[in-house]
Amino acid sequence: MNLPDYNFLSAPLWLVTTLHIVTLTLHFLAMNFLLGGVIIVLLGKFTTRWHNPTVQTLLKLFPNAMAATITFGVAPLLFVQLVFAKQIYSASIVSAWFWLMIMVVAIVVYYFLYASSFSLNSKAGKAGTYLTIGLVGLIYVSFVYSSVFSLAERPSLIASLYAAAQSGLVINTDIGAYIFRWLHMLLGAVTVGAFFVGLFGKNNEPAFAVGKKFYLWAMVAAMVLGLAYLFTMGDYILPFMRSVSIWLLLVSIVLSLGSLHFFFKKKFVPAALMLIVSLVGMVTIRHLVRLIHLDGLFDPASIPFRPQWSIFAVFLVCFVIAVGLVWYMFRLYFTAQSQPGS
Amino acid sequence: MDYPFWDVGIGYGVLMAVIAVVHVFVSHFAIGGGLYLVVAERTARKKNDRLMLQFLRKLSKFFVLVTVVFGALTGVGIWFVIGLLNPTATEALIHNFVWGWATEWTFFVIEITAALLYFYGWDRMSAKAHMIIGWVYFGAAWMSLFIINGIITFMLTPGDWLATGNFWDGFFNPTFWPSLWLRTGVCIMLAGLYALLVASRYKPDDFKPVLVRYNAIWSIIGLVIMVPTFYWYWNAIPSGIVQTALEQMPTPIASLYGSFWNAGLIAVALILFGLLIPKRYNLVIGILVMIFGISWFFEYEWLRESIRKPYVISGYMYGNGVSLASVEQLEQEGYLGNIAFRTGDDGADLFRRACRSCHSIGNYKALKPAFDGADRAFIAAMVKGTHVIKGNMPPFLGTELEASLTAEHIYGRVDNRHLSQIYGLSGVELGRKVYDVRCGSCHELGGYNDKWESLSGLTAEDLGDILDMAGDLGEEMPDFTGDSVEREALIEFLLSLNEGGER
Repeated sequence: MNLPDYNFLSAPLWLVTTLHIVTLTLHFLAMNFLLGGVIIVLLGKFTTRWHNPTVQTLLKLFPNAMAATITFGVAPLLFVQLVFAKQIYSASIVSAWFWLMIMVVAIVVYYFLYASSFSLNSKAGKAGTYLTIGLVGLIYVSFVYSSVFSLAERPSLIASLYAAAQSGLVINTDIGAYIFRWLHMLLGAVTVGAFFVGLFGKNNEPAFAVGKKFYLWAMVAAMVLGLAYLFTMGDYILPFMRSVSIWLLLVSIVLSLGSLHFFFKKKFVPAALMLIVSLVGMVTIRHLVRLIHLDGLFDPASIPFRPQWSIFAVFLVCFVIAVGLVWYMFRLYFTAQSQPGS
Repeated sequence: MDYPFWDVGIGYGVLMAVIAVVHVFVSHFAIGGGLYLVVAERTARKKNDRLMLQFLRKLSKFFVLVTVVFGALTGVGIWFVIGLLNPTATEALIHNFVWGWATEWTFFVIEITAALLYFYGWDRMSAKAHMIIGWVYFGAAWMSLFIINGIITFMLTPGDWLATGNFWDGFFNPTFWPSLWLRTGVCIMLAGLYALLVASRYKPDDFKPVLVRYNAIWSIIGLVIMVPTFYWYWNAIPSGIVQTALEQMPTPIASLYGSFWNAGLIAVALILFGLLIPKRYNLVIGILVMIFGISWFFEYEWLRESIRKPYVISGYMYGNGVSLASVEQLEQEGYLGNIAFRTGDDGADLFRRACRSCHSIGNYKALKPAFDGADRAFIAAMVKGTHVIKGNMPPFLGTELEASLTAEHIYGRVDNRHLSQIYGLSGVELGRKVYDVRCGSCHELGGYNDKWESLSGLTAEDLGDILDMAGDLGEEMPDFTGDSVEREALIEFLLSLNEGGER
């Protein structure tokens, strides 16, 4: 039967990959602010705790950061599924219940973030409890993501786990292969979160001090854990060292240290730029590590290219409109004078 | 065939329905609610109606909490669940519509930003700026619907895309426009129903009747849009699909009629309690009307999803993820060689690939009642003949051996005792059960593919001869493999029909 084939890419692979990396960076930025911020608010030694203005600002921003995390998470999920459908669906099916529970947990987290935000007006003491519950949920989501995406890079492990059980109640058993990856992500999130704590607390010295402390030590810990992850890569470490990844890694580390330097001097613009570019580097490395793992098993370049330029142009136009409208709406909002009782 | 199979106890249909219906309900409410908020705000500001503005402000808080949180996450949840339940179909959709989805994402970004700024902006922004944000929200939300509608309707009516593979042919498919306007009506109706539910809690003072009437008019406008657009939608579905549904699918057709009843009940309640005696629109009525609304939507979505059977994408891919393009290959090679992830239990693997997407052994759409008391040969024959069984199922494309392995898997999980023992029956009643199990799936008395006319008036001997040569009567017709007790009981039952017995 002569039916249209669906195994094709409707835009060049480089374009899809670029969009994936850019949108995933945005997702990580929002997610890191949220996850890292929550950890720091709970563990940081803030004076007057829930009455500290920086903590209050952060609590109010967390639900919006969750909205941004989800919104920016949709696009990279779409693009990664476009290219790596076989790997990602297969891994998620093996861990289906854990994967599906992400949605339920995320809804609960969202409501607890709102609860902690609203509690500032009445029951500030409850904010910590609500936030702790939210943090447990966020840690669950981050762990399952690391587990499933790590599993997606190991087709033979997917096959053996599936042969043993088809219930969807199986978590990636090769924990040694991804525990450091997950912890590195977690500490990386604390690093980014610390940047925002410092940024929002730039005029609040005790809060800025908390931000500085976490920025420094979380970055150090993330680097150590990242190194530990490299050593768990086994046979893949040599291809990694011989690829462009190693240079990207070096540049990202240098940029992170530069960001730390400027952050300590309260020069937030260069610090933010360096942090974001280093994050782009890390996301790109993540993508390259996936390719290294799948080398010889799957080559994304083997997917035929059949362009759909007309709808791609529609997407581009809508994207520009979206950027413009979002900018316009923020301008309307932030330039408005407060009008109580209007 | 390229993916592992999630063998989940709860049925795929139920799991999908739970997440999808919750999401579509919230997402349609999110669109209609956006329009409701900004139009009502404009009216209230013109009239300087402070009570109405207070009501809208409260409504917008809940609106954000429900739509931005629940709506957005259940939307992502649908992605998660379709990737788990039918990864092949999801892959096909994503490859064809990735830029449609990416475009929808741009509107999603606008929508979420606008919803949050609208909620936070009540005290901060001027009336004009606030309403601009409200209109931007509604515009973006409706555009999201516009795009997703193209992909959803494609699954039922891919139209010319089947021949051309062109994005736009698939997107602007035969049911695109009627579905878009039908769903727009649904959005408006749901927004009104929800606002009515909130208003139902108000004390019956002077403000309540005004508010209830206003909200009831919203819902009635939505309902008025829905009636002709549903008719338009139903007529835009290819007649073959409608005809098959009417003849072979009692459940979706019952859903269709149920949706008519619910729409009628909503209309009556809105006119009576919404327009005529609005002060009496209390919480019980509010909840009841909301339940009618949710039920209507559930029935409509159930109908839309079900009448696609046996396809997940009409004319392109079967519900079990087998593409029509691969039929020839599978008929030649069988399933097993094409299953990428195997467990070592071939019967179980085959059962999962061929049947499990829709059926379980003992739970959702259980096979147990159909095969309790049946023998291996009969089950294998039924597996091979799925395409002629009532219910419009996909064909089993495997080899004879694969059908036997599948049958063996099923046989090992059903009740293997004699039918007379399982149900404690004898005589005519046992014969009726034998008919149900061995004949009724393909020849429903008084219904689907009824062959009674050709049997009517035959003697016991004639009926016995027919049973003995059953396998020769048609390509898909199985041999009668029941024992002599079943045979005698079946003949006794058929003879009883001759004598006017109950069919």
